[in-house]
Amino acid sequence: MAWDKEEEKRLRQVIKDSGVALLAENLVQGTWGNTAVRLDEDHMLVTPTGLDYVALQPEDMPIVQISDPSVWSDGKKPTSERKIHAAIMAARPEINATIHSHPVWCSVFASAHVELPVMSEEMQKLVGGSARVGAYGLPGTKKLRNGTVAAMQGRNACFMANHGVFCAGGDMDEAFEIIRIMERSCRQYIEQKTLEATGQKTYSDELLFDYFKSKYGK
Amino acid sequence: MIDKKIAATICEYAGKAVSERLCGDGDVIAMRTKSGFVVNAAPFDGLTEDKLVEVNAGDASANALLSALFSTREDINAVMITHPAYVRAVADAKATIPAVVDDMAQIVGTTCKTSKSAEVGDVLKAVKGRNSCLIAGGGALTSGRTMDEAYTCALVLDKAAHVFICGGVIGGCKIINTFEAKLMRFVYKKKYSKTNQQNISQREGE
Repeated sequence: MAWDKEEEKRLRQVIKDSGVALLAENLVQGTWGNTAVRLDEDHMLVTPTGLDYVALQPEDMPIVQISDPSVWSDGKKPTSERKIHAAIMAARPEINATIHSHPVWCSVFASAHVELPVMSEEMQKLVGGSARVGAYGLPGTKKLRNGTVAAMQGRNACFMANHGVFCAGGDMDEAFEIIRIMERSCRQYIEQKTLEATGQKTYSDELLFDYFKSKYGK
Repeated sequence: MIDKKIAATICEYAGKAVSERLCGDGDVIAMRTKSGFVVNAAPFDGLTEDKLVEVNAGDASANALLSALFSTREDINAVMITHPAYVRAVADAKATIPAVVDDMAQIVGTTCKTSKSAEVGDVLKAVKGRNSCLIAGGGALTSGRTMDEAYTCALVLDKAAHVFICGGVIGGCKIINTFEAKLMRFVYKKKYSKTNQQNISQREGE
């Protein structure tokens, strides 16, 4: 372990703040999301499993070994999804911060297994292209992890089939920019598709609901 | 005299439901007590302990659905009926939400049905063997061993309704197969949730 203790202290606060910000920006429900920041080539700080982000303290964050995420020290028991964070950090040395969450608009694409095309210059710049869907796998499985790593190739975000979204950046601020643009772009695409499906010019939730009822109503 | 812990729990979770925009007209929040149940007598927004009432088991004038649930379902200690917009749209369509996302499979189950009507008998039929259902023309009935479980179920169901509706305009959701959905539900209930719910139950009261 070769990193500056002051830097570790700063990064612990970054993780703590990231959890609170996910909640404040409605990008996570309850404790069902997790974040990680790189300490060095083989170590990262992650959020603990199942704990309230507001109550969480910087010293609660465990240090996890990237090359073998079953090895961890300090803090509380790390998130069970640490293997995915570790796999991305191992495969992508330029990535220093990762976010995994299940925000609603991204979850639509994850559930429909639909690739999100580039919706704006900002999305192209931040995500690096379209957002693909990783192969489906049960939570915590190698299949889910490998599917996520494959879908992230050349991208800074992807959907995890029937699960959520994964975003990665050079630092936590960038990772947040990426999850924000993903959620905005997903919403924009769905609103566009609703207008196309209904032939209307102005989107409203009522328009979407009426379309749904006409299609699925009994 | 209403148990202080129960009253505090009900008010806390009503507030959480408001901040998560789960609310609408006719929201209900109730918890089992030794002699019956405690239920809100005012909307969730700004709910305080003096706006709760305790109902004795067998009281014929009480909410018939809650009375039936608490008397026939020993596994249920807390109930919420919430009315977020996407849930209402599915309930209006009388559709069944399948397992569109894995947290729904874990926390809600393989499907969430809408009752045939809002009649008590039809709602009880729709929730039979499950912890939740949608009420035709109404909202989401969610329940649990604890209020935390009923609330979490309401949150996840709202997201599942959102995903199910929006998925329809981009080609439709891919449903998690029944075997895997049941496996996830089993693991969640047995492994992750049991001890946690016991701890929460002690915190929430009775």
